Amino acid sequence: MSTQTAPVVRARSLSKTYGRGEAVVRALDGVDVDFEQGRFTAIMGPSGSGKSTLMHLLAGLDSASGGQVFLGETEITGLGDKALTRLRRDRVGFVFQQFNLLPMFTAEQNITLPVELAGGKVDRAWLGTLVETLGLGGRLTHRPGELSGGQQQRVAIARALIAQPEVVFADEPTGNLDSRSGAEVLSFLRRSVRELGRTIIMVTHDPSAAAYADRVVLIADGKIAGDISDPTPESAMAGLDALRTLEPAVTTGRTGA
Amino acid sequence: MTATTTPPTTTPVVSTDSTPALGGGSRYPTARLTLGQMRRSTGRLAAAGIAILISTAFVTVTLLVGNIVTSTTYDQVSARYADADLVVSHSSWELTPEDAEAAGAVDGVAAVQAQQTYFTELSRGGKVVYQSIAAHPADERLSPLRLAEGDWPQGQTDIALPTDVAERLGLGVGDTVNANRWIVDPEPEVQEDGSTWYDNQEVTEKLTVTGLVEDPYQAYALTGGMAVVSAATLDQWVADDSGPDSSPTYDALLVALDDPAALEEARQALAEAVPSATDVLTTQEYAEQVVAEMSGGQNIVFLVFVLAFAGVALVVAGLVIANTFQVLVAQRSRMLALLRCIGADTGQLYRSVLLEAAILGLIASVAGVVLGALLVQAGLLVAPSFDLGVPLPGTISLNAAVVLVPLAVGVLVTLVAAVTPARAASRVAPLAALRPSDAPTLRGAGKVRAVLATLLTVGGVALLVGGMAMGRTGQADLGILAAVLGGSVSLVGVIVGAVFWLPRVAGAFGRLVGTSGPAARLAAANTQRNPRRTAATATALLIGVTLVSMMTTGAASARVTLDQELDAQYPVDLQVGTTSSDDEGNPSAMPGDVTDAVRGVGDLRAVAEVTTYVAETTDEEVVPVVAATPEALTSVLNTPEGAEGFGPGTLLVPAGVAKNYGLEGRDTITLSGPAGEVTLDVVPSDLRTHDAFLTPLDLAAITPAVAPNALWAGVADGADVAATVAALQDAVSATEEAVEISGAVVEREAYQQVIDVILGIVVGLLAVAVVIALIGVANTLSLSVIERTRENAMLRAIGLTTGQLRGTLAVEGMLIAGVGAVLGIVLGLVYGWAGATAALGNVGTVPFVVPWAEVGVMLAVALVAGLVASVVPARAAVRTRPVAALAAE
Ligand SMILES: Nc1ncnc2c1ncn2[C@@H]1O[C@H](COP(=O)(O)OP(=O)(O)O)[C@@H](O)[C@H]1O
Ligand SMILES: [Mg+2]
Repeated sequence: MSTQTAPVVRARSLSKTYGRGEAVVRALDGVDVDFEQGRFTAIMGPSGSGKSTLMHLLAGLDSASGGQVFLGETEITGLGDKALTRLRRDRVGFVFQQFNLLPMFTAEQNITLPVELAGGKVDRAWLGTLVETLGLGGRLTHRPGELSGGQQQRVAIARALIAQPEVVFADEPTGNLDSRSGAEVLSFLRRSVRELGRTIIMVTHDPSAAAYADRVVLIADGKIAGDISDPTPESAMAGLDALRTLEPAVTTGRTGA
Repeated sequence: MTATTTPPTTTPVVSTDSTPALGGGSRYPTARLTLGQMRRSTGRLAAAGIAILISTAFVTVTLLVGNIVTSTTYDQVSARYADADLVVSHSSWELTPEDAEAAGAVDGVAAVQAQQTYFTELSRGGKVVYQSIAAHPADERLSPLRLAEGDWPQGQTDIALPTDVAERLGLGVGDTVNANRWIVDPEPEVQEDGSTWYDNQEVTEKLTVTGLVEDPYQAYALTGGMAVVSAATLDQWVADDSGPDSSPTYDALLVALDDPAALEEARQALAEAVPSATDVLTTQEYAEQVVAEMSGGQNIVFLVFVLAFAGVALVVAGLVIANTFQVLVAQRSRMLALLRCIGADTGQLYRSVLLEAAILGLIASVAGVVLGALLVQAGLLVAPSFDLGVPLPGTISLNAAVVLVPLAVGVLVTLVAAVTPARAASRVAPLAALRPSDAPTLRGAGKVRAVLATLLTVGGVALLVGGMAMGRTGQADLGILAAVLGGSVSLVGVIVGAVFWLPRVAGAFGRLVGTSGPAARLAAANTQRNPRRTAATATALLIGVTLVSMMTTGAASARVTLDQELDAQYPVDLQVGTTSSDDEGNPSAMPGDVTDAVRGVGDLRAVAEVTTYVAETTDEEVVPVVAATPEALTSVLNTPEGAEGFGPGTLLVPAGVAKNYGLEGRDTITLSGPAGEVTLDVVPSDLRTHDAFLTPLDLAAITPAVAPNALWAGVADGADVAATVAALQDAVSATEEAVEISGAVVEREAYQQVIDVILGIVVGLLAVAVVIALIGVANTLSLSVIERTRENAMLRAIGLTTGQLRGTLAVEGMLIAGVGAVLGIVLGLVYGWAGATAALGNVGTVPFVVPWAEVGVMLAVALVAGLVASVVPARAAVRTRPVAALAAE
């Protein structure tokens, strides 16, 4: 596993405020962070710390109040809707906590939908690889209603990867699952990175989920509060506890560039 | 816009497919997406589909009926030419008897009959018909009429009558009937200045009924049937009527051939024999030509008239559709957002909604066309059991227009209605997929809309008021135009602005009912949650109700005005006069048995014995007077206030009489006659009779002919006018005296019937729009139930009973429907009154009449419909178990 790859997603002085005057909320406050290619990174922090906001901005789903976000060489802050749509089609994938799939389509139709929306041709070999890696064989003709929560999330992962995007964002992908299914989904995410060479950025508040990642970026009160390489459930837990006790930023292993 | 840079190639497995440029996305995913979404929303779309289905069925029925009218007209027209082989025609009516003779002399021509109709008044007893009469042709093939009984007329005083006319006059074969016609003097009168003119005389002849004819092809069904006299008699009558200097001309000569197969030679020969003829056509060609000329008129008017109502139904259906799609888009917003996250562009979502609308529109329109065709076909099947007097085809005939026009209109309306929701769908932000909110509300109404609505409403009202003013000052044409334009514009303004004020009105209504319990309070609050939707639903109903209420109010106002006008115009309902005169030239005295007979007729409010007389004034002028006692006159007049001040020693002089006989500005007048003179005080009156009035005593001073010679009668209020008149006719004709009945009451009744019939048709046509709007209410309600599944479950979990839940939905449905109906009724009252004022303002003051019965019915229908509309959604809401609903995503 390489640790010297170029960053695929970069944030510079990124900030986001909601509301005005008295009611202003600084959800993000001058965030600088890089995410390397081919790695599985977890963004972890307490509830309300700005994890989701950061992810939305990194993915171009929401507009920043200040600062910049780069995907590869492209600055996505300030892109128009058309360019962002093209970005989502070709270069970014998403997995959400819930409501990931269109209920009227089969698993396979859900997986191939992004390619079809883009007017492309489904790469059957790649689809086969995904189905095999994610253990979805025999489930392709089922509709979401006929799949377990864990299976649904695996279909969502396959869908996020079908267009071979540069990065996949996942917001609390296991938040709605029991711990067994959650563990299953997380190991599939890790396999996607290790075996298929994908880049995944996952938001979670759960240290044991974060431990599946190659790296954990800690966030508190809208600021980067630490960075843990090769986390274990214990080190992730310790990082989170450190945030709760308002200790200064913890850094173990290699710091983000 | 920043171009994307080449992504780093990091894919270890397979290379990325090249993806086409944005916007070039295939339609295929859109279509599949659409179909998938439609399958999930079938129930929700069905109601919207029914709205379109009804409207397109309406259009289809209209077009089919239009076609039937045209083909029936054609059948009737062509029936008139019977089995003629050829028609020699002239477009400006210039064929002469010589042309007819020349045509008859052509080789192979069996018979020629000029198309000629004469009209005469036939009477027997008190009954009169105005009858059209044709000549009996030399060849049976040239007449569509068949002899039912007796013989064809041959002599100068013979006539064959249509069976129903003979029945109406109480005649059989061998009876005689009086015919009145005019004969022009053979010698001209020479004026002092040397110019000449022909005087004419009315003659009454007794004709013998030699036969009864029937019209098997209904050729003259719409023109009151056709009587027949011999060709020579008809020629004589026409010649008598037109005078020695003019000879008759025809527009067509019907030709029967010896050998119908030799058509082309005969056509050639006839064209040569009658060089002045415009055309020599086959019967079919000629009938087509005649119908084509006609259909420019009445058929088009009929189509435009009815299609206007189909248009109203379509507009209302459009609102229902727009509403449904708006709700659907709101409910699907998370799904739409998810699609945006995985790469759908705005155009794809926009097209997806439009495609859905197109499919819905197409399916519903096809069903609408089928339903419309079935309805008309069913109508044709049951029609023969009613005696319509018109031969109708047995089956409908479909053509391209009948099928394609409703289809196109239905799809188009659905598409147009879906444009705004489609734009809303394309505007859903990708981020919405990640928000936990249930159903994000759509964008609120903007400033532009408020300004536009205000401008339209104010401008429209100004135009409407202007139209009323013009109507009052006698410019009815311009007034109606301004009022219609103003009314339409202000209604559009009201509808566009409905989103601002309608929910508030609903809120006020809701607070009223909210006091009655928690369920009602909940319902009232629910109507406020999505102001746009509440407004759109109530608006759909408002349009229909406004129009129905407008028509009923307008008609009620117009009715009162016209009643007043008709009363003034026809101050006396019925008059019975003698038809003979005494030696002095005065009408004969009314026989006592007639007076008794008239007094014996029920349903007469009053019968007055009067004496008509032509009195001389001292300056050698004349004035027609009627002698009647003040009591008798007042009792029989429809406008008794016009006889105020009339009594012994006075002459009641209506303004019109004063003007016509130069009596204006006089205080007294001296009348003279064979018995002497009398000086009377002039009492001016606004009665619109053609005579002045004096008392019988005053009349006796100038003439000995004071015996009553006429009877005036008033029909009792609420009596069946036609039956009363018929009873009077029967009573009078039983006396076999020479009297005639005249009177405005029949004409007046006809006016009222026309108003009633038109009103009934119009309200019936508009009711379609109301039905569609009510479907819209039901749809909105069930959509909001689906939307609130979790919330309803939560309410149930915290103790709302199923009964209360049902009650909440019932109140909500009735609130929406009730608000739409009440506002529609109020608007309709104003529009109806304004319209009637613009149209009739110069006839008389148009009172503001509230047709309470109709208003009550409309309100009741709306409330019941709102209640019924809540039943199905309520069942769905109640069926959901609290736990299941809360667990559902
Ligand atoms: N749409 C919004 N409007 C206002 N405040 C928001 C909005 N979204 C998030 N916030 C606020 O921003 C902060 C960060 O939120 P979020 O990124 O969702 O946190 P996390 O995902 O870490 O729980 C919180 O205080 C939250 O209340
Ligand atoms: Mg979050």
